[in-house]
Amino acid sequence: MAPEEIIAAVGGGLPPEVGCEADHRGVMLRVPHGHWLAALAFARERLDCDFFDWLTAVDEADEGFSVVVHVYSLAGRHHVLLATPLPRSSPRLPTATGIYRGAAWHERETHEMFGIGFDGHPHLAPLLLPDGFEGHPLRKDFVLAARVAKEWPGVKEPGERPVPRAEQPAPGAQQPVPGAERPAPGAERPVPRARRRGPPHVPDGWGPA
Amino acid sequence: MTGATPSTDGLPARSRGVIALLEENCTVCMLCARECPDWCIYIESHQEPVPGTEYGGEDPARAPAGRGRQRVRNVLDRFAIDFSLCMYCGICVEACPYDALFWSPEFSYAETDIAALTHEQGRLREWMWTVPPPPAHDEGQRPPQD
Repeated sequence: MAPEEIIAAVGGGLPPEVGCEADHRGVMLRVPHGHWLAALAFARERLDCDFFDWLTAVDEADEGFSVVVHVYSLAGRHHVLLATPLPRSSPRLPTATGIYRGAAWHERETHEMFGIGFDGHPHLAPLLLPDGFEGHPLRKDFVLAARVAKEWPGVKEPGERPVPRAEQPAPGAQQPVPGAERPAPGAERPVPRARRRGPPHVPDGWGPA
Repeated sequence: MTGATPSTDGLPARSRGVIALLEENCTVCMLCARECPDWCIYIESHQEPVPGTEYGGEDPARAPAGRGRQRVRNVLDRFAIDFSLCMYCGICVEACPYDALFWSPEFSYAETDIAALTHEQGRLREWMWTVPPPPAHDEGQRPPQD
């Protein structure tokens, strides 16, 4: 099916709240979560998308989460992406395993990595993380232990001797600029030094525990 | 690619096997270590005075390089890449403004001890001799500017 045919079929078969647009390889459906199972069933039955490729989530920060599914038609060779927004406070969706049995693993992984609940899932147990692991590591507010425990190799200035750990800045912390204070009259003016920088791409508030 | 005895024959020049260091070109600017998303590049250095720029006091005649401050240069003491952490993104190679880091297609450096995957300066330099020449420019391409 061509993208235009899929869009026409969605317009005729799904409620108008379901957004539908062509993307670079197929069609993207933006589904309110109340219509999630209906949209999946529609993709499987009416759009002939019999191949379940993957299900995952995206942490959209203040806008909550998106759960995204990619399905494919082996006969028609067309791709369909389905995405649904979920609130950050209580991210829950009904399970897709009744429509695509292969979604079971993907929902288990999404559950442990993002903390998204899938109501009605037959066995929503952790899949990949070690026993007793706390937190959801693919959420953007999850602090990576390796970034806290390890010293940032870029903390040293060119030509500088190793910096003792105690003098290293916490990532994202505002550092006083040495030499910015006005020296007492007659005192030797200290050589101003560049502000010691923290590691890039590490959020504020992370740092040595 | 798949064969009984894997070799680098036939691999394109852009292959990402291992990262080589030409330490003469390294100015210890720290850009690669700071850009590395995996924090797997370790650099240690110190500063040495540049001969001939000693501060000669207030008398300009005695100061070979005028009355400015003593000039110093950075000297590399250690450059190591931990290939057990490296994800082969090549950001360090791209970030280096001084052509000190290069991709080599060599990939046969498996180890039984994870610590041995940290290649120090000497070993990174040995990879340098396996770096292929850059591919020829395309026909009709603008000539290189440098």
